[in-house]
Amino acid sequence: MSFLNTLRTALRGISMNKLRAALTALGIIIGVASVITTLALGNGARKAVEEKFRHLGSDEIQISGKQTIEDGGLVPFGEILSYEDGLLMPGEVELIDRTELSVQGEGKVRHGPHVLDMTIIGLTADALLGAAEQGQVQPVGWPEGEALHVEAFIDHGRAFTTEEVLGQADVCVLGYQTAEDLFEGDESVGEVIRVNRERCLVIGVIAELETVDPKQRSRSRVNEALYMPISTAIKNLYDEEPSVALVAHVEDESRMAEAKAQVAAYLRQRHNIEKDSEGEYEDDFSLSTKKDILGAQQEAAQTFSFLLVALAIVSLSVGGIGIMNVMLVSVTERTREIGVRMAVGARQRDIVAQFMLETTLLSAASGLLGIAVGILIIPLAAILNQGTPVLDPFSIPISFIVALLTGTIFGLYPAIRAAGFNPVRALRYE
Amino acid sequence: MKAKRSSKHNLIETHDLTKVYSMGETEVRALQGVDIRVEKGEFIALMGPSGSGKSTLMHLLGCLDTPTEGRYVLEGQDVSTLSNDERARVRNRHIGFVFQTFNLLSRLSALENVALPLLYRREAEGALQRASEALSRVGLEERTTHRPAEMSGGERQRVAIARALVVDPALILADEPTGNLDSTTGTTIMHLLRSLNEEGRTVVLVTHDAQVADFAHRTLLMCDGRMV
Repeated sequence: MSFLNTLRTALRGISMNKLRAALTALGIIIGVASVITTLALGNGARKAVEEKFRHLGSDEIQISGKQTIEDGGLVPFGEILSYEDGLLMPGEVELIDRTELSVQGEGKVRHGPHVLDMTIIGLTADALLGAAEQGQVQPVGWPEGEALHVEAFIDHGRAFTTEEVLGQADVCVLGYQTAEDLFEGDESVGEVIRVNRERCLVIGVIAELETVDPKQRSRSRVNEALYMPISTAIKNLYDEEPSVALVAHVEDESRMAEAKAQVAAYLRQRHNIEKDSEGEYEDDFSLSTKKDILGAQQEAAQTFSFLLVALAIVSLSVGGIGIMNVMLVSVTERTREIGVRMAVGARQRDIVAQFMLETTLLSAASGLLGIAVGILIIPLAAILNQGTPVLDPFSIPISFIVALLTGTIFGLYPAIRAAGFNPVRALRYE
Repeated sequence: MKAKRSSKHNLIETHDLTKVYSMGETEVRALQGVDIRVEKGEFIALMGPSGSGKSTLMHLLGCLDTPTEGRYVLEGQDVSTLSNDERARVRNRHIGFVFQTFNLLSRLSALENVALPLLYRREAEGALQRASEALSRVGLEERTTHRPAEMSGGERQRVAIARALVVDPALILADEPTGNLDSTTGTTIMHLLRSLNEEGRTVVLVTHDAQVADFAHRTLLMCDGRMV
């Protein structure tokens, strides 16, 4: 029988019992839809992790103090990661060449009649412009594709120096909008403002910035900022010494592991951490490098894909068994039809082709429907997951092929069974 | 396929044709050494009480089943040892079936039912044209788009005869073709079969109705799996 005629026969076979075909398809539709959705969730999670750590350079070790929950609030675990820990590190640790330190705190900023409650960021000198290098913001109207340089981020005035950081100088650099809010267009550099009642000289204003990603522009407030030397910020904003965020730069990228060990040894010594009874250090800090984070992420992704494969196998097997069940019933019901077809000259392979094409068409249609349903469910999953799932383009052909294979594999047995009928008995079947 | 040549005039020759069915422990010897000859253009009636083996013989002659022992030569070719696919080809090319229960496919129109055997050939072109000619031959040119459920028993049997005719078969096998019809319609069908025979087609008819058997040139009687 020609392919076209087999196709018509198969389509007729499916349309003979539409409800049954729809119910059969349901298993595959659900299977494929869940594969598409879960893959999108995994893909979204991966993108989020990548985005979060994109700024972390491959020569950097991110050091953070551990925290624990006490009386319903987060408190430092063990000793805090102090300003001094960071400041002395380049001198004490052989492989670390410099460190960037930062703290964030809330403060009241005043100039004349204008008072602003805002987040104040304390930084070391290189960290101020390091923030600009992270690549998430750019001066407004910066030509696309042109390389950014540090100078472009200063509107006028200057950034603070290492000497000013070490000397707890009362200086600050304002964000563009903050300067506007406090000075209403008047010159701000050289003026004195009050930060938590302490005097502070404005030495520079940051250029008007926007996020590089246009989608985030409307909700970002990158121009509302006040930067000051970290030492000054600690003095003015805190009653007791805060834990700082610390990034250490390693001189030689090929010796990252060694550098990490050195940093750990240095901090253990400073925090008086000894081996416990099991010979382990109970560190009050954690170290991560880009490689660690990406490695952990890859591991998580791998576990996730195993789970996903298991899920896909289970749901598609259920769908496949559904197909097999329905096709077996269908073959039995149509025994006489099979007998008639054999009597007028259908070969076994014609019968196999007819039933196989039926299941293949059914599973292909279910696969396509499942893909559509999966894509429609993705925004819904986003609400539940509070993440941003991203459709993985590969999941479409893959899940379609798997659906097709499921139909083919589970349709094979009923089709072969049909083809194996004895024509005489099939013709007599009641 | 090796073709053993036999008498030129014999369309059908069987030699010691035996069919044994095993039903669990017991063996049923449905055919016990049947030798028949049917010449081209003959109209044969096969009669006998139920259980005599006439249906089994019919199935063997129609290449729907294979004999346990013995030979069956159709048009000079030994078809008793053919594979499933080869037998399907013989049924498709050389044999037209007419069944007591018509055995039309309910989802297909009369025309599509008649065209069905041609669709199982490589060259399906012109199938509908040939099917429509076959329907005209049995007087149903007005009913081509009707489905079996929309037709009377006599009309359905005529569609079945058209389906048998469409492949231009060497042999038409009719198994109780009037069994489900009233006598008037039955007679019409028998007249149709006889006119096809008069056009040169060989017809083998299984029946237990002597009046129906009277349409044939020759009646073969069977009993307990043997010719009598």
